Amino acid sequence: MSESTSTPGAVSGEGSGPLLSVRDLTVSFRTAQGPTSVVKNLEFDVPRGGALGIVGESGSGKSMTSLAILGLLPKGGTATGSVRFDGAELIGMSEREKRRVRGDRIAMIFQDPLSSLNPYYKVGTQIAEAYLSHRSGVSRKQARTVAIEAMERVHIRDAARRVDHYPHQFSGGMRQRIMIAMALSMEPDLIIADEPTTALDVTVQAQILDLLDEIRTETGAGLILITHDLAVVSEVTDQIVVMRAGETVERGAVEQVFSDPQADYTRRLLDAVPRIDDAIGVLRTTAITVPDNGRSAR
Amino acid sequence: MSTQAPLFRGTNLVKEFSSGSSGLLGRAKPFRAVDDVSLEVHRGETLAVVGESGSGKSTTARLVARLMDPTSGTLEFEGTDVTHAKGAALRDFRAAVQVIFQDPYSSLNPKHTVERLVTAPLVYQGRKIPGGARAFTRELMERVGLNPLHSERYASQFSGGQAQRIGIARALAVGPKLIICDEAVSALDVSVQAQVINLLRDLQADEGFGYLFIAHDLAVVRQIATRVAVMSQGAIVETGPRDEVFERPEHEYTKTLLQAVPRINPEWDRRRKKAEAARAGKEADAATAADTTEASA
Repeated sequence: MSESTSTPGAVSGEGSGPLLSVRDLTVSFRTAQGPTSVVKNLEFDVPRGGALGIVGESGSGKSMTSLAILGLLPKGGTATGSVRFDGAELIGMSEREKRRVRGDRIAMIFQDPLSSLNPYYKVGTQIAEAYLSHRSGVSRKQARTVAIEAMERVHIRDAARRVDHYPHQFSGGMRQRIMIAMALSMEPDLIIADEPTTALDVTVQAQILDLLDEIRTETGAGLILITHDLAVVSEVTDQIVVMRAGETVERGAVEQVFSDPQADYTRRLLDAVPRIDDAIGVLRTTAITVPDNGRSAR
Repeated sequence: MSTQAPLFRGTNLVKEFSSGSSGLLGRAKPFRAVDDVSLEVHRGETLAVVGESGSGKSTTARLVARLMDPTSGTLEFEGTDVTHAKGAALRDFRAAVQVIFQDPYSSLNPKHTVERLVTAPLVYQGRKIPGGARAFTRELMERVGLNPLHSERYASQFSGGQAQRIGIARALAVGPKLIICDEAVSALDVSVQAQVINLLRDLQADEGFGYLFIAHDLAVVRQIATRVAVMSQGAIVETGPRDEVFERPEHEYTKTLLQAVPRINPEWDRRRKKAEAARAGKEADAATAADTTEASA
């Protein structure tokens, strides 16, 4: 493992520290063959208003990382180490406290907006419901107003009318906007987006990435973008963690890692990405072997 | 355009679906998924059809493969009209045109061995397996870069990239001339994707297949296409040689599409190549171990 920039560990400890600070995060699952670690000793910081990209191929542990931060690991999974959010330790926090942080201060955006929205309820109701569950003493009418405002902020035209439409009446890109509106209505300090544009068309993807960027500059929220797409990360984030089979392969400023990668794996990964502006004879693929998803004990 | 008849030619293809609710009364205006599409694929070349979801590119692929009948228009294969081919003629067509699908897991029965999967097209067509199933499978596996000794393994025992190689081996089994790749590398990890793209190109160079390459990923298309057709709302809005379409797009939609693709800063790429060259130089120096010239940029 190699690091190119600021060594973590030098956390200030005052309120002015990073928004999110992950140290020695390890996620393990019990399996028939004994415990398997899918994330190993992960470390990174997200400053306020900063954007961090976590990239990796399938089985790299990037999605498990986001679930561990949120305390949403599937059954049988345990997280050890430290995840400090705005100074508060999330690992080992009670379920009740965690629920207050999650959704309220940390928002999550998933790949597939259709499966995160309930087809039977109007989108406005769903945004308002999410808001009400985290804010006490708010009337339904106020929550509806919040929903409309949030939809306007993600540039859904005619929001006052669209608020009463059902998910199927929106396109994939519009549904992802609704998910972002739902996240925004809580005014989160940190947004975790897990493959938010993978299911979208390229023109829609560009719009959603612009939107995330706009939100970050306007609200000062931190962003963690989890994706398999190196080009997307290169355009959106300023720091990057490259993961492979649960291990951190490389970490640093995006420009640094892309223009002078230290790890062999990062180099080969960058070589394998097809470039739209460049047709090359043979794609260089010097035998990147992806280990069997955890099954081969390490 | 070459004087030789193309391997495949589709002319004025239209596919309409009855739309929505009015059902049996059938007064509803049909939905045109493919709207007057004409295309040609020549031997040894790759025609890439690109477009976003709902553009009609996959329906076009299905029409070409005759997995679906066009509402109107004609299909010709090696100069013969196959639009309504039946019986023996259709069987011949099916042997000559194969499809590789996006998701190798859902298109391969996980409980079947590679041998059974790969020889299935021949078995269905009632053809003899040249040299016997075992030897035939092993040879095909070798050609697509799989370990031939794994011919008895089940599809579920392979990784995504390996499974897609099995899909390719199965397509090759019948000795096709035209291969339709419907998002064939879209579901693969980037390193695996690059390997499969290289494999497809090598096979084409060796065998002269024509490819109809359906894809939404323009960066992948840039690596594999000879010519490109851009589809939007059922119609081809622009078509031409690859570099022309990518470097001098004419249609507004093509321009929008190309602009939207996220890019790794080319300046970073240049610096990386430089750093790598310097590193390689250093290693070479260390290897010769004679002098210690610092070859840095």
